[in-house]
Amino acid sequence: MTDYVDAGEAISFAQLSNVKGSAPATSAVDYERIRAAASEPENWLTYYGTYDGQRCSRLDQINKENVKRLVPAWVFQAGATGMQSGASTYSFEASPIVVDGIMYVSGPDGKAWAIDATTGEELWRYKHASPYDVSLCCGNVNRGLAVGHGKVYMYTLNAHLIALDATTGEKVWDTVNGDVRAGESGTVAPLLVKDMVICGSSGGEFGSRGHLDAFDAQTGERRWRRYMVPKPGEPGSETWPDDGEAWQRGGANCWVTPTYDPELELLYQGTGNPAPDFDGGVRPGDNLYTDSTVAVDVNTGEIRWHYQFTPHDLWDYDSTMENVLFDAPDGRKLLGHADKNGYFFVLDRTNGDLVRVFPFVDRITWGEIAPDGTVTPKVYPDEEGVPVHFWPGPAGGKEWTHMAFNPQTGLMYVPVQEVGATATRRRREFKESIPYWGAGVAVDIEDFYGFVAAIDPLTGEEKWRWRNEYPMCASTLTTAGGLVFQGTPTGEFVALDADTGEKLWSFQCGSGHHSSPSTFSVDGRQYVVVPTGWGGWIEGFLPGLLGAAAGDALFCFALPES
Amino acid sequence: MTTTESDREGQLAAAGLDGQNRTALGRLLNTGSIGHAEEDADGTMRATIRIPEDELRYDPSILILPHGGDLVLTLINDDKNTHCAVLPCNGDPKFIWLVNHAKGTASINLDGPGTYYYSSTSGNDEGRGLVGAIVITGEVPDHAKLDRPPQPRP
Repeated sequence: MTDYVDAGEAISFAQLSNVKGSAPATSAVDYERIRAAASEPENWLTYYGTYDGQRCSRLDQINKENVKRLVPAWVFQAGATGMQSGASTYSFEASPIVVDGIMYVSGPDGKAWAIDATTGEELWRYKHASPYDVSLCCGNVNRGLAVGHGKVYMYTLNAHLIALDATTGEKVWDTVNGDVRAGESGTVAPLLVKDMVICGSSGGEFGSRGHLDAFDAQTGERRWRRYMVPKPGEPGSETWPDDGEAWQRGGANCWVTPTYDPELELLYQGTGNPAPDFDGGVRPGDNLYTDSTVAVDVNTGEIRWHYQFTPHDLWDYDSTMENVLFDAPDGRKLLGHADKNGYFFVLDRTNGDLVRVFPFVDRITWGEIAPDGTVTPKVYPDEEGVPVHFWPGPAGGKEWTHMAFNPQTGLMYVPVQEVGATATRRRREFKESIPYWGAGVAVDIEDFYGFVAAIDPLTGEEKWRWRNEYPMCASTLTTAGGLVFQGTPTGEFVALDADTGEKLWSFQCGSGHHSSPSTFSVDGRQYVVVPTGWGGWIEGFLPGLLGAAAGDALFCFALPES
Repeated sequence: MTTTESDREGQLAAAGLDGQNRTALGRLLNTGSIGHAEEDADGTMRATIRIPEDELRYDPSILILPHGGDLVLTLINDDKNTHCAVLPCNGDPKFIWLVNHAKGTASINLDGPGTYYYSSTSGNDEGRGLVGAIVITGEVPDHAKLDRPPQPRP
C-alpha cells in the first residue's frame, strides 16, 4: 500500500497573494445618497456617476491648463490563473465605483475587487466560477458593480445576481436569475434604486426573451420582472406574429444599465435587437419592445411609454445604450440617445414624445429617418444567400459604450464608429443556446475611422469633432475642469478640451480601450481611472484591430503631488 | 480515414495521442476517463481524482456532478513528479500542491449547469495535458427559467 504524503486541504488562491482580505468600512451608501451623488463629486457612487447618466463630474482640479502634467498614480493588473478561454476573457468593460477612497470594480472572468483608490493596493477579491461553456455573444466580460447598503452587487456570466459584503467580499446572498441552457447570461452592471437592485438580462443573440428585473437589495428576492417581448394578448403583442413562436425567442435584452429619474420614478431602459438579428421573415411586424427606450415604473415594473428607434430591425441595431437625462433651458425634461442606427434622438422623458432626430455619423445607407421620426428602410438582407453591405455595421454608429453630457457646455460628447458590414441572410431553425442570427456577417476590416463628436442636443449641431484613424469604442467622461476623457482602440487615453476638441494630453496604456473611465478625489487629490482591455467582441465592432496588443489593467492618473 | 465517436479511444491509442511523447509531445486535453461524483444525504458531492504515473492526466479527467453545490474532492498523486491543482470555486479558486505520492482534499462550491476546467499550473503541466473538467448536469431552478413554452434543443 502506498504511503502517501499528506497534502492537506486546498487553500484559497488569495492566500498566495498579498491581498489583505478586507476593506475599511465606508460611510453608508443608500438611495438618498446615490440620488444626490452629484453633490459629492469626490465619489463615483453609481454606474454612470449619477442616475441621469451624464457621466459628468464637478471635480475641476485637473483642468485644461494642468492636464498635460497628468501622470499614472498606480496600475492594477487583473491577472489570470488556470485555463484560458481566449483573448476575450481578459478585457475590462467596467466603470469603477469609488466610495470614500475605496474602489469597487469588476473585471473579466467573474472577478470583482475592492482596491485602495489612492495606491491600487488589492484589499479583497471575489471570483465567481461561471462555467466556461455559457453562451456569450461578446466576450467573457462584466460591465460593473452596484454598491450600497453595505453590499456590492454583481451579475455573473451564468446569470446569478450576487451580493457581497462590502468590507470582506464574502458572498451574502445569491439569486439565480437566468437559464444558461436557454442561452441567458449576465454582463450588466446592476443599478441600486430605493431598496431594490435593478438588473437586466443578456442573451438576445441566442433567442432568449429579454427581461428587466428588480430584487430586494437585502434578501435577493425578486420584486418584479418585466419581459420586453410581450406574450400574446399583452400590450405590444400585435407587433409580433399572432400565429407563431417568434415572441418566445424575440430578444430585446436589457444588457446595459438603465438611467433613472427619481422625480418621475421611471427607469429608462434601452432594449436589444429582435432575434433572429437579420432575418425578419420569421418575425413580421414592428417587434416591440425591441430596439427601444422603454420607460419602466420602478415601483411596479409596468411600462409607462416606449419609443422604438428601428422598427422591425434587420441590421442588429440594438438600442441598449444609455439614455442621458438632461433638462432644456425652458425646463422641459429631455432624454438623449445616440442609437446604433446612426441617428441621435431627443425625447421628452415624461411621455416619450419625439423632440428631435438627426444623424450623428457620416455614412448611413441602411435607411433613412425623417425629422418626424418616420423610418424608411433601404438596404437590408432580404434574399437568401445574397450579400448586402450597409453602414453603420451591426456595432452601430455608437456601440454600448457611453457618451457624456456636460451642463457647462451644453454638449453631448459621443464616441462615434464609422465602420460598415456585410450581412448575408442564411435562415436557420431555432434551437436553445445556439446562436440565432439568421445571417452570416462580416464587419469591414478596412475603410473605417472614428471621432468624438461634440453635439448640441438642443439644435442637433455638431460643434466640433476630434477625428481618429480608428473608430471610437470606449465611453467618454467629462469634468468641470473643461475636459473630455476618451480611450482609443490603439491604447491612448486622451484628454480633449471640452469647448474646442483640442487634444491636450495622452498616455499610451498598451491596450485598446472598451470601458468607461470614472473620476474621484481622495484627501483633495483628483484621480481619473480607466479600465483597459481589448478582446470582447472586437470581431464585431472593429476586426481591423483584432490582432492589436491586448491587456487587462486599470490605470489611475493624477497630477504630481509636488 | 476519419474517426467515429465510438472508436475514438482506440483511434487515439493507435495514433499515439493518448499518452506522453508518442506522436505528440504531451497528451491531448481531456482524453482520459469519465467519472461520476457520489452524493451524500445532505447533498454534498464527493469524488476521488488521481494522477497516474507518467500519464499527465487526472483520472477521471471528466467528473460529472448531478447538480451544482458543494463538492469534496480527494486528490491523489500517484505520479513520481510534483504537480498541483488550481480548482474553480465560487469566491476564489482553490490551490493544492500535490508532490510525488501525495494525497489531499479540496472543498469547492460551483453553480450548475455547465462545464468548469481546472489544471496543474506547475511547469507546463497544463500545456502537456494535465487538465480536468467538472461537468454539472441538471437545470436551473424553475424561478430562473423564461416564461415561454419548452423550446427545441440541439
